[in-house]
Amino acid sequence: MPPEVRRGIVIFSCLVTLVAVIWAARMDYVPPAHFSLQNGTDPKTLDPHRATGQPESKIIFELFEGLLRMLPEGSPDPKTGLQPLTPQPGMATSYEVSEDGKTYTFHLRDGLVWTDGTPLTAHDFAWSWQRMLHPATACEYGYLISEVVLADEYHHSIVKVGDRVEVELWDRPGESSGSDANIQHFPRGTMKYGTLRAIIKPDQIVLPDSASDDARESAELDWQESWVYQIDVAPSDGSGNVDWDGPTTPEEFSVSAQVARDDSIQRTHGVMVDFQHFGGAQAVDDQTFVVRLNNAVPYFLNLVAYYPLFPVNRNCIETHGAPLWTKAENIVTNGPYMLQFRRLRDRIRVAKNPDYHNVDSVGMETIDFISLESQNTALNMYETGQIQWAYDLPTSVLEELKDRPDFHSAPKLSIYFYKLNHDVPPLDDIRVRQALSMAINRRQIVEEVSKGGQQPAYSVVPPGIAGYDNADGLHEDVARAKELLAEAGYPGGRGFPKISLLYNTSETHRPIAEVIQQQLQNNLNIKIELKNMEWGSFTETVQMEKYEMARYGWVGDYPDPNTFLDMWVTDNPQSNTNWSNLEYDGLIKAASTELDSTKRMQLLRQAETILANELPVIPIYFYTSAEMAKTNIEGFAPSAQDLHPLQILRYRSETPKE
Amino acid sequence: MRDLLGYLLKRAAWMVLTLWAVYTVSFVLMRSVPGNPFSGERSVPPAIERQLKARYNLDAPPLQQYWDYLVGVVTRLDLGWSTRLEDYSVNQVIAEGFPVSATLAIFALVFAILLGVTAGIISAVYRRSTADHVLMFAAVLGIAIPNFVLASLAILLFVFMIQIFPAGGWGTLQQIALPAFCLGLPVAAYIARLSRTGMLEMLTKDHVRTAYAKGLPKRTVILRHVVPGAMLPVVSYLGPAVARVLTGSLVLEKIFALPGMGSHFINAATQRDYTLAMGMVLTYTVLLFVMNTLVDLTYAIIDPRVKLR
Repeated sequence: MPPEVRRGIVIFSCLVTLVAVIWAARMDYVPPAHFSLQNGTDPKTLDPHRATGQPESKIIFELFEGLLRMLPEGSPDPKTGLQPLTPQPGMATSYEVSEDGKTYTFHLRDGLVWTDGTPLTAHDFAWSWQRMLHPATACEYGYLISEVVLADEYHHSIVKVGDRVEVELWDRPGESSGSDANIQHFPRGTMKYGTLRAIIKPDQIVLPDSASDDARESAELDWQESWVYQIDVAPSDGSGNVDWDGPTTPEEFSVSAQVARDDSIQRTHGVMVDFQHFGGAQAVDDQTFVVRLNNAVPYFLNLVAYYPLFPVNRNCIETHGAPLWTKAENIVTNGPYMLQFRRLRDRIRVAKNPDYHNVDSVGMETIDFISLESQNTALNMYETGQIQWAYDLPTSVLEELKDRPDFHSAPKLSIYFYKLNHDVPPLDDIRVRQALSMAINRRQIVEEVSKGGQQPAYSVVPPGIAGYDNADGLHEDVARAKELLAEAGYPGGRGFPKISLLYNTSETHRPIAEVIQQQLQNNLNIKIELKNMEWGSFTETVQMEKYEMARYGWVGDYPDPNTFLDMWVTDNPQSNTNWSNLEYDGLIKAASTELDSTKRMQLLRQAETILANELPVIPIYFYTSAEMAKTNIEGFAPSAQDLHPLQILRYRSETPKE
Repeated sequence: MRDLLGYLLKRAAWMVLTLWAVYTVSFVLMRSVPGNPFSGERSVPPAIERQLKARYNLDAPPLQQYWDYLVGVVTRLDLGWSTRLEDYSVNQVIAEGFPVSATLAIFALVFAILLGVTAGIISAVYRRSTADHVLMFAAVLGIAIPNFVLASLAILLFVFMIQIFPAGGWGTLQQIALPAFCLGLPVAAYIARLSRTGMLEMLTKDHVRTAYAKGLPKRTVILRHVVPGAMLPVVSYLGPAVARVLTGSLVLEKIFALPGMGSHFINAATQRDYTLAMGMVLTYTVLLFVMNTLVDLTYAIIDPRVKLR
């Protein structure tokens, strides 16, 4: 290569570098929002029916609004600093509850509009609730409204002969009868309605004993797909009006493509109960929405104010499909704020929605939800004024922050505990479980390890639920623990098998596990092996029940003891402890149908007492929140459910325009 | 020119092979670790899990999945929808994250080269002086201190004590300065040592002595006859340096809350986001491969003795 060319190339690469630097230096600067907050890991989705976590819920509560909305009522509790929140009118101005507590009638405000300008009616709620319950939406919160008439049957696609059913034919856009499914389940294929006459089930294939659980599950589901449904189809027009008394025609349907190859059998996406016409969520007219329940649910209004029950815009979803409808340029919402833009792992910017019915009460013009995974970074950014609210702070500095005026700490509705697997002896022995629990010094854990002001827990329901008197559990008593252990056949810890304590990899779980290991060794002479797994493996191991003791946490879905108690009934999929107590199951069931609130709370308390005595789980502590919010913000207060309505926040100097 | 084209073609063929191998290994590894993208604290009912799996084609037999996804990547460059960041396709995630990572890498590298080469030249020219000792001690420190420690120190110094830079975030040049500095400094330290060694070796060469004997001024000799030759080891280090800057940003992105690709890489793996993890692995493979090829080319250009093969 001649020297000139070589020199040319050197100059060329310098130029390329220069261009690269100029390209890199051209930044896309966005001025900061009026109010910025730490929002944990990047939100998974903005679809209210698909979201599950805290970061998502904070955003969705501002973008959307349900019939009711949780807002402060009264002043904060002077002792705990907790601001009581109650369900208050949102899209609905008022509601009536029938005497038996089973029918709720909501009256919507006049002139409600979506952000695209179209009117918002009770039909939007009916459709949204149906979408939420539809199995293909795979909403994880479907169980919350399982008491709504037909909701559970619809959510789990359970049909019985004689039910009035809906059938969705295999003709969604782009589908032919032999093709793969179009995964967009809205807009729906052609709908037929009728009465289920019979289900023809082929013989089930018998799997060898060696087959895995997964294989069994999948074979069962495959078998269900091959069922043929015989239905007397009622005449209906295209828009969903059905003449149930009209002349019916018998037709046959099946989900399986093989079965439906036969011309007389039509292929369907599924035969489900007709929730749209007979379910417990009906729009009577544009402004009246009626909910019917199988049994009274005392906390139902709290559920209505929870984001999975917020309305979504049908036209938007049917035009763009999921998940594209959630993009900033497509999304249509109805809450106090509307989405401006979303930058992955950076921020979500929302701005005041001018069409919101109560727009005058909305304080901040724009809000940034900053994706921040590191606690230290969040604190740094708070201290330098880049964010005004940080809710997840590094434990190591809590001691120093505690006395500052902008520090807020209050009990939360959530608990930290260890699950015990009852399939593993000796954990099936109640004396052993009690001994383990009584030998753990929780005060040492909260004061020397977690240090965030957590409350030691001896039972599972956190304090602070109105009208509920917590059950008393077994407190520390090393002497008694030793006796119990001896009675169980392990005097002085001799012969006690080595059990392992499993936790997911985290800076907070490891030191707690180590302290417990130490305490059990010193107090009972029991050796515990610590095992940590990262989150994915951890949850799978616990769900497959291949553990002995496992760390867990639970955050209340609604402010009622039931959310902490009903998961321990026999065979609940969340339990994974193999613990079963018929008396306990009976009490939880009785409480779920009890209308009298005092009696109901007593039943729940009895159940909790059983739990605190039998100890299928060892409670460790109740969480407290530890957050910092700038002192010039008005309207900020901790709440038990850790909900923070952002639309009521404003800076002190800015007084509302009246 | 002909051997250049042949060389590029050969490298391209190797890249395709490497990508295929990486794809296969990642595919098998991702699916053999316990857990799946839908496992969470709350267990999902089987029928609903099946719906979710159908949405991401995870209900097909593994071989079918392997083939379908491969076809999608090869024919449409479509890496699929992310299973955890549900609202995004993997292509969108990369499209948003890549410019951030690239910007950071460019600043870090340019900074590292400028600082490293300057320090190396000064050390070599003023060998055994105080400047040389100080610079080389600093270089040893720079290599030894991991970048997250450096980041903490830098934040303490430049965010809290002297308040000139913001603590984190992305959007202004000030916000890039600290992370680029922390990312580039260890590389700069390495380059400083390499260029010093290169310079010292060149200074003893015959042609340099001849240049001095001709009566050329010291400045001209150093810039014309010593520096170009001394840059060879530096250029050959650029390949690993690019790799280091790209992978090193994983930690810094978290510390400075930057929306780059690194954090996606970690989260995708821990959350079993099969599609996103695959997309990240393939993207990094392509990036590193292309960068290494470029470095090899540059090397051949600077040093006429190197033959491309």
